[in-house]
Amino acid sequence: MSTSELSEDYRDCFQEITNVAMGQAADKLARFLDVFILLPVPNVNMLQPSELAMALSAVNHDESVSAVCQGFIGSGIAGEAMLIFNDSTFQEIADLMNADSDDSNQLELEILMDTANILIGTFLTGLAEQLEVRYSLGQPSVLGRHVNIEDLIKINEKRWKQTLAIEINYKIEGSNINCDLLILFTDDSLNILKQKADYLLE
Amino acid sequence: MSISILICDDSSFARKQVLKALPSDWQTNVFQATNGSEAVQMIPEKNIELLFLDLTMPIMDGYEVLDHLKKTDTNCFVIVISGDIQPDAVERVKKLGAIGFIKKPVNKEEIETLLVEFGLLVRQPL
Amino acid sequence: MINSEEFTAMHWLMDIVQNVDAGLLVLNREYEIEAWNGFMENHSGLMAEQVRGKNIFNVFPEIDKKWFLQKAEPVFILNNRAFTTWEQHTKLFHFKNYHPITGIVDYMYQNITISPIKSVRGVTDKISIIVYDVTTVAVNKLLLAEANQKLERLAQRDSLSGLNNRRHWETLIENEFLRCKRSKINASLLIIDIDDFKQINDNFGHSCGDSVIRDVSNQIRSCQRETDYSGRYGGEEFAIILPDTSVQQALNLAERLRKQIEEQSFMINGEQQSVTISLGLAEFNPEFKDHIEWINAADSAMYESKKQGKNKVTINKQQNS
Repeated sequence: MSTSELSEDYRDCFQEITNVAMGQAADKLARFLDVFILLPVPNVNMLQPSELAMALSAVNHDESVSAVCQGFIGSGIAGEAMLIFNDSTFQEIADLMNADSDDSNQLELEILMDTANILIGTFLTGLAEQLEVRYSLGQPSVLGRHVNIEDLIKINEKRWKQTLAIEINYKIEGSNINCDLLILFTDDSLNILKQKADYLLE
Repeated sequence: MSISILICDDSSFARKQVLKALPSDWQTNVFQATNGSEAVQMIPEKNIELLFLDLTMPIMDGYEVLDHLKKTDTNCFVIVISGDIQPDAVERVKKLGAIGFIKKPVNKEEIETLLVEFGLLVRQPL
Repeated sequence: MINSEEFTAMHWLMDIVQNVDAGLLVLNREYEIEAWNGFMENHSGLMAEQVRGKNIFNVFPEIDKKWFLQKAEPVFILNNRAFTTWEQHTKLFHFKNYHPITGIVDYMYQNITISPIKSVRGVTDKISIIVYDVTTVAVNKLLLAEANQKLERLAQRDSLSGLNNRRHWETLIENEFLRCKRSKINASLLIIDIDDFKQINDNFGHSCGDSVIRDVSNQIRSCQRETDYSGRYGGEEFAIILPDTSVQQALNLAERLRKQIEEQSFMINGEQQSVTISLGLAEFNPEFKDHIEWINAADSAMYESKKQGKNKVTINKQQNS
């Protein structure tokens, strides 16, 4: 079976797994912040290197957008989770978290990290449970903070192979808070993921 | 006498899971719908008595379906089966008339307990 | 017999060791794996049960065995801790890092600590290895070094001509002067001035003047040898340091450059125009007080070329043998 296409069965299975993991993550965040989270249908797709470059470019060109990346590896699968935020919603999130700080740059960074940690961590935990895998999580880091995003794309565009991507949009009801969680799996994770799906599909 | 049930979920994988979790000795006519809009059409058409409903679907989501059923005063039991397990979600769904909320991935025992509770399934005491 | 309190304490200690954010493994004297924590499991894809009792070099053939034994043997024998950082040896295990997609390096950079473990008899019969993921630190350092290099190069370059700028070139001529004086070797200095440049600027504008400068610079770059240092000395003035070159040898290069520019037609203002240069040559003279005297010698030779009708090479009079 060609790996450049994701069969409908697999796509559907991954989407459903995502659905459950997403629900668990939203539940934790909802309890933590005492809000209601609007959950959409998740998007599961194979991304080609050029599409990945476009997604990252979008983060780069829109100055009011920030992204936090957190890597994960274990049980034969590896990848990165990326949480993409709109900067204009920082104050709202800060208020929700009852955050308190004098330095607004510092505040932004902390909120970014805390929210990313909760959303990414709970989602990946939920995913691990569904797939029956275990993994180690890396430190979250802000995309573009240390390396210019354009350089990053330039360096990697030749390196990248196709990536399995899960895209989830989280909205908090009654606010402008809106973020995108993008989970990217490395090319060599695909076989293991399919094996896991096969086991669930039978 | 067979009972007509409808499983509504945009994921065929999820619909399969629900099917597998239904009691094997239960007499049913099972129908499937891939989104809320299909479901509201099929319910009066096929005289559906029990609906297993997902919440996150395109076109018309679970909440909208429940709302529609309430407004049209439709006589149909609804059990919500969803990954959206926020405390608020469960509350909203109950308020809109669902008789139960089952967390995904579905559990056979949970379904059976609910069915017995509402008299949809009768178990003879041994 | 451990009591239940000790057992609970051990239990959560084990939990920490299993889940800590660093690799932990234990090897016996035959370099067989006896312990393997969660970090190692997740990064290698091999569970503890799969590697226990196996020789580490068999399981990971990519390990530089010679290097590793050099580090580990002293720990066994001398009962002494050993350390290695990514700067000495980038990694022990070939693992993916936590940014397999958005990162700019292919693998995990590691710092390793090897510690002796004594048996009950007091002999070091096992070693523990801790693997730290220092990819972020390493990448930052490498990027910083690269940025600094770029900055340095920018500070040395004249942006229009692409040649060394005056400040940096003067450092070079000063160094060459001292080198010649010290080692009693020879070198030549060539100064080049574009003829009637002021007229080009006045008649055709500065952007035409700029493109002439660019073209002349390109010619200089193509004429010079790899060991020569060229620079933009003034607005329309250039200089080339020719190490280990006598003035006669330098004359060949100078003539070639003069001819190349004379023969090249420059596009100025949409028309083919000819541009010429005047050149002055001066060989290194140990009697020179400093590098300025040397520059002046070449400069006056260049002015002589101008006086003699331009489009000429002149060797400094005092050196004409």
